[in-house]
Amino acid sequence: MKVNPDLDFIKYMKSAGGDTLKKCYQCATCSVVCPLSTDTKPFPRKEMIWAQWGLKEKLVADPDVLLCHQCGDCTAYCPRGAKPGDVLGAIRAYMYTHYGFPSGLAKMVSSSKNLPLTIGLPALIVLVVWFISGGMHLPSSADLGQYGFGHFFGHWDFRWLAKNVFFIDIIMLPAAGLAVFSAYKGVSSMWKAMEKQHNVTAQYRPSVNQFVKEFLWPSVQEIIQHTRFRECKTNINRVKGHLPLVLSFIGLLIVTAYSAFAQDVLGLIYPSLHGPMSLMNPVKILANVSAIAMIVGIGILWANRSAMEAEEGTTATYYDWFLIYEIMAVGVTGLAAELSRLIGIPALAYFFYYLHLVSVLMLFLYMPYTKFAHLVYRTFAMAFEKYRESSFVVKSEE
Amino acid sequence: MSEQIANGAVLVVGGGISGLTAALEAAEVGKDVFLIEKKPSMGGRVAQLNQYFPKLCPPSCGLEINFKRIKDNRKIRMYTMTEVKSVSGSAGSYEVTCVTSPRYVNNNCTGCDACTEVCVEERDDDFNFGMGKTKAIYRPHEMSFPMKYVLDKNACSADTLDKIKAACKYDAIDTDMEAKEFTVNVDSIIWATGWNPYDPTKLDNLKYNESNAIITNMEMERLAAPNGPTAGKILRPGDDKEPESFAFVQCAGSRDENHLEYCSYICCMASMKQITYIRERYPEAPIYVFYIDLRTPGKYEKFREKLMSDPNTHFIKGKVADIIPESDGVTVVAENAVTGEKVQQKVDMAVLATGMEPAIKSQAAGLGLDIDSNGFVVSNPATGMISAGCAKKAADVVTSAQSATAAALKAIQAGK
Repeated sequence: MKVNPDLDFIKYMKSAGGDTLKKCYQCATCSVVCPLSTDTKPFPRKEMIWAQWGLKEKLVADPDVLLCHQCGDCTAYCPRGAKPGDVLGAIRAYMYTHYGFPSGLAKMVSSSKNLPLTIGLPALIVLVVWFISGGMHLPSSADLGQYGFGHFFGHWDFRWLAKNVFFIDIIMLPAAGLAVFSAYKGVSSMWKAMEKQHNVTAQYRPSVNQFVKEFLWPSVQEIIQHTRFRECKTNINRVKGHLPLVLSFIGLLIVTAYSAFAQDVLGLIYPSLHGPMSLMNPVKILANVSAIAMIVGIGILWANRSAMEAEEGTTATYYDWFLIYEIMAVGVTGLAAELSRLIGIPALAYFFYYLHLVSVLMLFLYMPYTKFAHLVYRTFAMAFEKYRESSFVVKSEE
Repeated sequence: MSEQIANGAVLVVGGGISGLTAALEAAEVGKDVFLIEKKPSMGGRVAQLNQYFPKLCPPSCGLEINFKRIKDNRKIRMYTMTEVKSVSGSAGSYEVTCVTSPRYVNNNCTGCDACTEVCVEERDDDFNFGMGKTKAIYRPHEMSFPMKYVLDKNACSADTLDKIKAACKYDAIDTDMEAKEFTVNVDSIIWATGWNPYDPTKLDNLKYNESNAIITNMEMERLAAPNGPTAGKILRPGDDKEPESFAFVQCAGSRDENHLEYCSYICCMASMKQITYIRERYPEAPIYVFYIDLRTPGKYEKFREKLMSDPNTHFIKGKVADIIPESDGVTVVAENAVTGEKVQQKVDMAVLATGMEPAIKSQAAGLGLDIDSNGFVVSNPATGMISAGCAKKAADVVTSAQSATAAALKAIQAGK
């Protein structure tokens, strides 16, 4: 076998928390103690040697890298302190940058050196839009009470599309659109690479419907139920944080969808639906419960990661902490904006609302490049695993 | 020259192959030697082996000649059941306080065995790692030297003690014996304190405590030894089944930061030697050896090649990281790093190739010894504190004997 090691990749691995990689002596303890590793193609031993050899092409086409939930059992039992769990985390970080489009944006987000730009860019966008909208003034307490943040970007009388909605849409829709497009592009490149690496040829193509029903939806169910996460031993506590977090995202997705529908569709017919919801409104209750679940969930993950770093020597990485801070920021700014609105301090409310918009924009825009990308990449890696075992695929005799 | 080196006595701590060798080498050039051993008999770990390298001799060959030399050498004063309590003084002039635990049997003992016949109580046989029992008054093992019985007084009722006393025709039982403390003045100390097998219960994933089918390599030595609990038959402890398949779990605790971070050096060859024990008794039984790397130094390569040519002996590159106890035997789990597939091998008996942990490790600080991060004694000829054998580093018998001779050479010069 001819090996062309990629030195830059090896250097990257060192910088991204995979610096312990070289200690691995291939005893394969990790593959056995890993609760998620399968019998026919165990991991992470093979990933460790690929990474040592700089075989990044193999790694970015390896579903097992994404099936790893960083339980930490491998790291706990590793006789050499090579921390396979951390190494696979670093490979995932590399993967998201590798598949990220546009690559300039993906690279920017991947490095802590660019943090001022990473925060500054969305902050500037929201600020500029605020200026352009002409809404840039603080409301009176009464207006705040009546309209909430509904006039943040000002108000016009064109009833079919509120000014605020328009300006929020011109920020968030392109950002979300880019994220969705980038994720789609990344996932399909990954899928193709995986097919190539694992010699998977379709016998006949599944329809979209079949694909969703047989591969994607079962994966999503597994993810929501945390079936694999619960197999973990060393870091089983992370389920306690991750589960409320996932549910809170689902809750907030429902709230956002409802509120968009209520305000932008039904609101055209029933103008009373505009303005802040009553705290007793079931949707608002769901929103608030979700917001708290988000803060609690991410708080638990925060504490767990700190503990892992202190007790097990898990390497602190920008990749892991960026997402924790980002989600915490979304939760805290959102709740702070709501509270200061309810208390009736316009300046504070608008300030937090601005920060909330910035952090939400960051969450959307950077989704495909940050750790948040596991949302799509892991889901599709799990779907790929099901697909390659299915009857759609020609069974090659290896 | 003789005047300069003739006066300094040497203390040798430990009566295994290293201690015996060092004591004899020092005594045979004219030094006064105090040789102390913690156990009731000499011979250390070698005495527990069935056979040992390089020639696969039984331990009687090698140990007996040393015992004979010790008996004949008036320069050596030998103390069993004795440990070092404290060391004071400095290079060239040490005062060492030793403590001898009561054996409750004095030098009158002839080994006639009359006492065991009347003794009803039993104790766990530590020489056989708890596989089997001995009477509460016992001879440590068949070739124990000195040939004296030992009484485990706490295990006996008053009635039994009376019976034992009555049965002894030589007045050798002394139940009032007490621990005795004494001091020796020496120029140098050779620490030949040897090793203990690494505690397999610390390897939680290998579940040593959860199945009788899991034994350690030292237990295998005892099972294969003619003077062992099964008289040399390799039977599964607990149900005495003749195992039909075997797995060797290499590096059980060695080369592992969480346990012993160093390579214990002997385990690869020990397992290969034990494969020959199995082959003598079970010519066809499948044997699976799970390893990370095989370390077969020097001429032992030939030995390995011969074993690997056996079609029923399989060498799998991959460490066993999980053992699942079954109703009959165990399943060992590893990833074969060559094929990249997980191996789940059901066997009747799994042998953990546990490594060597320096026996003095926990006491070293109290005795003022310089130890390295793994607990091995750092040899310091300048201060007359010299280590030998497995107290110095993980080693086989040959290397231990060499290192003991070297230690003796340093020790006899310490008095200069």
